[in-house]
Amino acid sequence: MVSSPVTRLPALPAELRAHLPAELRGLRRDGVRLMVIDRAARTIRHSRFTELGTFLNAGDLLVLNRSRTIPAAIPAGRESGDAVQLRVCVRHADEWHVLCLQPVPPHANVALRTGERLQVDSVPTVVRGRRADLPLLWRIDALPNGLERILASGEPIRYSYVPEPVPLLYYQTVYATEPGSAETPSAGRSFSWELLLALRRSGIELADILLHTGLSSLQDDAVDAEHPLFEEWFVVGSDAVDAVNRARRVIAVGTTVVRALETAVGDDRRIHPIQGWTRLRLGARSPLRAVDALLTGFHEPQAGHFDLLRAFLDEPLLERAYREAIDARYLWHEFGDLCLIL
Amino acid sequence: MQLEGKVALITGASRGLGRAVALAFAREGAALALCARGAEALAQVASEVAALGTQVLAVPTDVRLARDLDRLVALTLDRFRRVDILVNNASELGPTPLPYLADYPPAAFDDVLQVNIAAPFRLTQALIGGMLLRNRGVIINVTSDTAVTGYPGWGAYAVSKAALEGLTRTWAAELAKTGVRIYAIDPGDMDTAMHQAAVPDADRSELKRPEDVARAFVELVTSTEPAIAGRRLEAATLGQ
Repeated sequence: MVSSPVTRLPALPAELRAHLPAELRGLRRDGVRLMVIDRAARTIRHSRFTELGTFLNAGDLLVLNRSRTIPAAIPAGRESGDAVQLRVCVRHADEWHVLCLQPVPPHANVALRTGERLQVDSVPTVVRGRRADLPLLWRIDALPNGLERILASGEPIRYSYVPEPVPLLYYQTVYATEPGSAETPSAGRSFSWELLLALRRSGIELADILLHTGLSSLQDDAVDAEHPLFEEWFVVGSDAVDAVNRARRVIAVGTTVVRALETAVGDDRRIHPIQGWTRLRLGARSPLRAVDALLTGFHEPQAGHFDLLRAFLDEPLLERAYREAIDARYLWHEFGDLCLIL
Repeated sequence: MQLEGKVALITGASRGLGRAVALAFAREGAALALCARGAEALAQVASEVAALGTQVLAVPTDVRLARDLDRLVALTLDRFRRVDILVNNASELGPTPLPYLADYPPAAFDDVLQVNIAAPFRLTQALIGGMLLRNRGVIINVTSDTAVTGYPGWGAYAVSKAALEGLTRTWAAELAKTGVRIYAIDPGDMDTAMHQAAVPDADRSELKRPEDVARAFVELVTSTEPAIAGRRLEAATLGQ
């Protein structure tokens, strides 16, 4: 494990946590701020997201994650009659891996028994046991018509910094297509079609991949600090491959896109069409072969997100960017402001 | 089979024009996602469509409910990965016999606008992102001559169809220079349950059959020289 310097960094002030999406804060969807880090010049500039095009050139490629967010927090009943909340992290064909939590904040983990029956949306399922590598995740029988069950009974996964429920629609990107993400691929959430179509008209290309996200937190600080990693389903199609292989510069919109594209890199160091489960872990020493730049949100240093940022930024520049984002009052988390790393 | 490999979503598909368009698209090889409020009638149409050898997903849906629309969109995209053609056909006539606006129950007015204008807006918004990513897609809103002519008694329905035509024009302007086209089609007077409810004493022999009107929809989505987007089209003149 890479030793983390996070203890040296100032804590994130509570008022910089975005409680609501921009549209519910009286702004337009794309009305968020943009911090731009130029790695070559080692400069940090402050701008608006709607000015994104001024930092890009014709022939650049923006790669989007088209995954649609599902309401992955679902209520369930135990044999004892106790209510719990399941957070669906990984959905294999016959087995789901879920977090089992108290139904109310702070949503502490609840220990189940192997063989125990649970009721989800009036449908029974059986607990198969803990996941060996990540014991907080429970293996359960996949629910029949599982997506329907989730859509019928679930709500969006919500952390403490979002105090009131926000309708699922506000979690979706404007280009969300196939459903399956437990949490929003949030770096693209601020895009409006007005902005995307303007970028396209100015010669910036768009391509899309699919990666269904799992959980960003297992609701246990010690476990989260180890940056648990699980498999995520992804698809990189031939249209995206062609676009990436001919682009001048590839800008990943979100770390999920980095994970998908870098997994698609073959021995020839080019990307190829692929679909499957990715277990790729990216960190400080990971070479980036498909992606040249990254648009990302601001997430806390404790989150696994920071590991991936080290693939783009050396430690001094990462630390400087973190301090500058706090000093300049950028908003954090999935409904917050954005950062472009060129 | 001019629609082989295409995916179409049709609202209000359990009867009338929606059913006829579903069958016409199925004959051309399109995979179909169908929705309607009545599960039983919808299942019947789905089995007729399946008998034509095409893939079909039937999702009972009350288009007034956001959760139902979310579910329709998610299940459709989970099954077919994309939607190439969206037909916003589901319409509510309102109370019958048709009351004057001065007498119109306000709750019924709101209800008609929910079904006839808010739902097409929401559904189009939910599906247009995928179309714009692929830079390809067709959206057809079913309108009526009541949108452009004031007929006594057609109150909320006429208002909603005028709004739907406004939605179509505005959206077409915003989609200019993209590969996504949006239209409003006026099917004309058809021999349907809705027409029977609105005009009980109509001479049915003078009404068009939905199956004949549905051909205009096939024509519109398969034409190699597509009509100008945003236009108000009349089914009777399409394909001539």
